[in-house]
Amino acid sequence: MDEARVHISGFRMDFGDTTVVRDLSFDVHAGETFGFLGSNGSGKTTTIRALLGIYEPTAGILHINGRDFKPEHGDRLGYLPEERGLYKKEKVIDIMTYFGRLKGMGRRTARQWSLEYLARVALADRATAVLDKLSSGQQQKVQLGVTIMNNPELLILDEPTKGFDPVNRRLLMDIIAEQKQGGATVVMVTHQMEEVERLCDRVILLKDGTAEAYGTIDEVQNKYGGRIIRIRHTGAIPPSPHYEAVLEETNYSELSLTDATDEAVILKDLIDAGVTVRSFTTTKISLEDIFIRVYGDQNVPAAAGTFSTAPAPARDGA
Amino acid sequence: MAQHNLGTVLSFEFIRTVTKGRFWIGTLSVPLIIAVVFGLIFLSNTSTDTAAAAQKSAQFSISYTDASGLITAEDAALFSATAADSPDAGITAVQSGTVDAFFDYPTQPESTPVRVYGADRGLFENGKYAAVAQAMLTHAVEQRIGSPQLSALAAGRVQIETVTYDGTEESGGLGSVIPPMVFLVIFYGLIVLLAGQMLNSTLEEKENRVTEMILTTLKPTTLIAGKVIALFGIGLVQMIVFLSPVLIGRLFFPEELSLTALDVPPLILDPVRMTVGLLILVGGFALFTTTLVAIGAVMPTAKEAGNFMGVMMALIFVPFYAVALVVSDPQSVIVQIFTYFPFSAPVTALLRNAFGSLGLLEAGIVIAILFTGAAVMLRLAVRLFQYGSISYTSKVNVRTALRAGSRHPAEGPPTTGS
Repeated sequence: MDEARVHISGFRMDFGDTTVVRDLSFDVHAGETFGFLGSNGSGKTTTIRALLGIYEPTAGILHINGRDFKPEHGDRLGYLPEERGLYKKEKVIDIMTYFGRLKGMGRRTARQWSLEYLARVALADRATAVLDKLSSGQQQKVQLGVTIMNNPELLILDEPTKGFDPVNRRLLMDIIAEQKQGGATVVMVTHQMEEVERLCDRVILLKDGTAEAYGTIDEVQNKYGGRIIRIRHTGAIPPSPHYEAVLEETNYSELSLTDATDEAVILKDLIDAGVTVRSFTTTKISLEDIFIRVYGDQNVPAAAGTFSTAPAPARDGA
Repeated sequence: MAQHNLGTVLSFEFIRTVTKGRFWIGTLSVPLIIAVVFGLIFLSNTSTDTAAAAQKSAQFSISYTDASGLITAEDAALFSATAADSPDAGITAVQSGTVDAFFDYPTQPESTPVRVYGADRGLFENGKYAAVAQAMLTHAVEQRIGSPQLSALAAGRVQIETVTYDGTEESGGLGSVIPPMVFLVIFYGLIVLLAGQMLNSTLEEKENRVTEMILTTLKPTTLIAGKVIALFGIGLVQMIVFLSPVLIGRLFFPEELSLTALDVPPLILDPVRMTVGLLILVGGFALFTTTLVAIGAVMPTAKEAGNFMGVMMALIFVPFYAVALVVSDPQSVIVQIFTYFPFSAPVTALLRNAFGSLGLLEAGIVIAILFTGAAVMLRLAVRLFQYGSISYTSKVNVRTALRAGSRHPAEGPPTTGS
């Protein structure tokens, strides 16, 4: 995992007078699954497009495999863009074969691979159907197939689960896992924090075009307190140098520990301060909580079913 | 890999068009109509021949009066015609059914009509009366002249062949105009039939949101060049299909279709004019295609792009308003403007080339203008495609796109991505 499959350094992107991304730097190592997180408008898609040469960066270095990306290097790239679609009036098998050929596969190989993939995703009988005769879910499967053709060594998935039904979401996750197992490097641009926690080795959080946090999941969690104490209680939570109350409701609070003080000490301090504790649970701060904390001050439109700026209900203990 | 992908794009674009049912419905409808017309001509000619043959052998009784004195009794006997006492008597005989026809030859048949009266046998068959009246008079006159040669010459049945010279070189006349004129026909056919497809060719990627996936596997130049070449191939297929009934008819059924009556002179293939015609055709096609592709790259939908189609069509038809000048006075100011203005140049120059009024220097300039214009428009189309193809929902500001770096949008993110 030493080799940087993706290297971005000092990247800046201006649109007219507006700077969308400023001084962004990070690496994605070969073989890892990397989460690229951020609210809408934070510069994620812009960064991906600049990395893939669709946009010309205002400044900075954006390398894939140690060089600027050019379309002729694209035969081992699997890219699922945020804005996705295929040739709607063409036959499924023809579309897949075409993209396979564009990625350097021979016609016969691309066709054969496509037929096998379609059989795997239960679309064998739709191979010669025109794409727009397929249901939306079936089209998603075809899109996924096109993305992973020719055994990509780098998969860039921009909002991969956007618009996917649960069945296809599971298929996508299986495919990501498969590709990773096969040695592919995966970059996921997403709002789906649970998936990031489950799949990603490292993440970067982008806010207002700059990196808010960058590292392994643990490192990012530690940066934002690492441990969270969720308490159901009666009585006011007193201030303390050992924690910061990140959420305070009448009978429920979340405390982010700011040092290495043992949880038992905290519990004792609370009881000594006259707080009646009904439940006391320690957990690591979730990425979703971090996301809310980082972007909560912005008027962030939530992606469907992904996150909410409303206070999180207690999930542990009662 | 770029070259490999050019072939891939080309074959994909070509095959997916020519394997569509609607392409063949549209393409075959033209030759089908031509074939139907030829069929009707064939049937008509057959029935005409049959009727004429029947008329030739048909016997009908004739009486006549001849105030000119040209028709002798021998001449009349040859047609089994008998002299009537007077025109009134002749007409009465026809009305009573005693004879089928009566011919009244006037004193001066060269200036006064010969009057023919006959029993009605239907519109078509009634023509036999006039034909026989004419034949009787002609025969009588030939007998009077006494020489078939003099008779033919007097009747104006003379064949004349004209030879003209361009300097010391013999010029070809109409036979040398037709072959290079074919390039003009092909140009019109290609543009009229394919303009819509050209306009929509890159819009498809945009409307279907395929652009980003395409741009990571393919250079925009390769994509657009592949599309342009494929369109040219598709156009040629259509032209071949359109011309096939004519060629088949000309080669295999010239008599049945009376095509020999067209009296087409021997065709002369002047290599210089044919080469110039081909280059103007290719350059003009490339210019129009790249321009239409560029327009398509700017527009968000086919409907909006369609508004520009009329403008482009007008540009290729405008020179025809001055066609008389193009042919008769190619050095006039308006013709010169049409010759060198890139979008009217193909039609004007192809016309002038066919009529032999386009000098080599002029041809060179026009060809250079067309190819340079096509190259500029290709670069513009590529730039606009790069910039505009991910502007999925709004019209691209051309000035902004041109001011931007090679792939750098200068104002506002073109799409909703973050």
